[in-house]
Amino acid sequence: MDIRNEFPALEQQAYGRPLVYFDNAATSQRPRSVLEMQQRLGVEANANVHRAIHYLSGEATERYEAGREAVRAFINAPARENIVLTSGTTASVNLVATCFCARYLRAGDRILISEAEHHSNIVPWQLACERHGASLEVLPVDEAGELSVEELERRLSAAEGCIKLLAVTHISNILGIVNPVAEIVAVAHKHGVPVLVDGAQGIVHAPVDVQALDSDFYVFSGHKIYAPTGTGVLYGKREWLEAMPPYMGGGEMVDTVTFEKTTYAPLPLKFEAGTPNFTGAACFVPALECARAIGEDPALQDAQRAMRDYLLEELPKIDGLRLYGTPREKAHKIPLFSFTVEGAFPADLAQILDKMGFAVRSGHMCAEPLLRRFGQTSMLRASLAPYNTLAECEAFVKALRRAVNMLR
Amino acid sequence: MKTIQELQADIVDEFSVFTDWMDKYEYLIELGKGMPLIDEKDKTDDHLIRGCQSRVWLSCRKEDGRLHFAADSDAIITKGIISLLLKVYDGQTPEDILAADEGFLEQIGLKENLSPTRANGLVSMIQTIKDYAANLREKPAEAPRADASRDLQDDVIAALRNVYDPEIPVNVYELGLIYEIQAEPDGQVFIKMTLTAPNCPIADEVVAQVQEAVADVPGVKDVQVELVFEPEWTVDRMSEEAKLELGML
Repeated sequence: MDIRNEFPALEQQAYGRPLVYFDNAATSQRPRSVLEMQQRLGVEANANVHRAIHYLSGEATERYEAGREAVRAFINAPARENIVLTSGTTASVNLVATCFCARYLRAGDRILISEAEHHSNIVPWQLACERHGASLEVLPVDEAGELSVEELERRLSAAEGCIKLLAVTHISNILGIVNPVAEIVAVAHKHGVPVLVDGAQGIVHAPVDVQALDSDFYVFSGHKIYAPTGTGVLYGKREWLEAMPPYMGGGEMVDTVTFEKTTYAPLPLKFEAGTPNFTGAACFVPALECARAIGEDPALQDAQRAMRDYLLEELPKIDGLRLYGTPREKAHKIPLFSFTVEGAFPADLAQILDKMGFAVRSGHMCAEPLLRRFGQTSMLRASLAPYNTLAECEAFVKALRRAVNMLR
Repeated sequence: MKTIQELQADIVDEFSVFTDWMDKYEYLIELGKGMPLIDEKDKTDDHLIRGCQSRVWLSCRKEDGRLHFAADSDAIITKGIISLLLKVYDGQTPEDILAADEGFLEQIGLKENLSPTRANGLVSMIQTIKDYAANLREKPAEAPRADASRDLQDDVIAALRNVYDPEIPVNVYELGLIYEIQAEPDGQVFIKMTLTAPNCPIADEVVAQVQEAVADVPGVKDVQVELVFEPEWTVDRMSEEAKLELGML
């Protein structure tokens, strides 16, 4: 697979230098197949879905449902009823935080999250806790950035049924560590606690089989896995989705409406009020096909590991550089590196690197509590995708050294 | 001493010798390193301007009718740009500061640093400099008015004009975030307000700032701030001035 050729965005220049895109954890670039489909559907299947009986609406509905089926197959969900299409990870978490908590969270209860969560997997739970008089409990990470399953076990035993749900990230957007989610789910279930897994990064870098994982919910965004922005997925076990009240009211989520009583559409449409991003969702077909092809290409998998190993080795050689997220087993690290360099502020480094053509992220990266845990207000992050190259990594290390020297 | 315009022209001249961005940045870094720091004791939350990328502290004192600034930032390039701004504004009169613009930063190719999307605190810092200037202007004494609560209401509004959402260079009043102000003659003030987005991570902070600013108004005894999200805030609530400021008109 000539992957560089599949992603036209990579051919660009920034300030007259070749663009090196190392901000993939924020959003990935899109392959030709997705870009072409977006354009084609605007012509061939632009009509509202699940409503009319005319030809174009039928086409649009078919494409939209094909997108859902592609998602179902990609994560091995049992049925289409398990797949709610949303606008992104944030929307998916908010849906569960609102609807699950409305049904199950009571005053005095607790929601357990980990210290490594993105704001999107913190704030919706805080809001839910405020609404219901519940509280938020936080499972810490250790210096390496790893979660302890023993600590989780201890917390769950001590909570004696107060914890109504565990929300945990598959892979933190700062640490780049694959958490032992299957083990975490098993332990939580032993204590009767359902689990939501934030798969925003996980869906890109780890194989996901929701039936094997056995999580109650798994959420992710399309735009980090080659699909257009404004697409997202909420996988939920059927019994939960059936029991939860609807989220937004509106068109398409209803069965019959009278002013006295409305009955709701069956799953998954019950949670899909209003006109969805049907073109975007339809693009899950080529996007996940691309992800599948990458995942099954041994050369690309080797190359990713080589890039990870190279940066894990070379970055710490820079004087004063501290890497966050250093698991005991290298296999648990994805090619995502958050770090600080003594005497060089992250925003300054990012600004200089930008001028050199490198797109990296700086700031608190929507995980302030985690940064605080490591005594930082700001970090620099380089997050790689399978279309990056070892040559780009080598150039990055050189550029970073130069930027650090400029600042010191 | 030189006028603001002369000082700006000097800087444009200085930068004209740089042929590439690297030289320019190195110069800014030098400036940033050399800038006199703000007194540690002044590095308080009162003087803090918060951006997502970096933080800026700014303090101001008035001496013989002129304003003197001290500033700091945790990002050194930002600090370099601050140092350019202070070179221009330090020691000037409030009236001259209010009349000046920052077009010279565009001329020397640093305009991108002033984009609100950079979230480096610079845009808010310039606004804060202007606010200091506006507040420290020699004001003609106003004739006392009969209606005390009316007067208090005006003072409360003036105080609210000094409170900013850290990412938006327009004050909360012009932004239309304030839905209701009740200022009773006995000094009880009730404010109903909203935020631009319900999930705003700095919600508490903005509310606290409003609370503090109003509490500082002479004559105010007690402030109650109620945060509501109904009706929802939309850009239509912004004043014409605010829309102009944000380039929406």
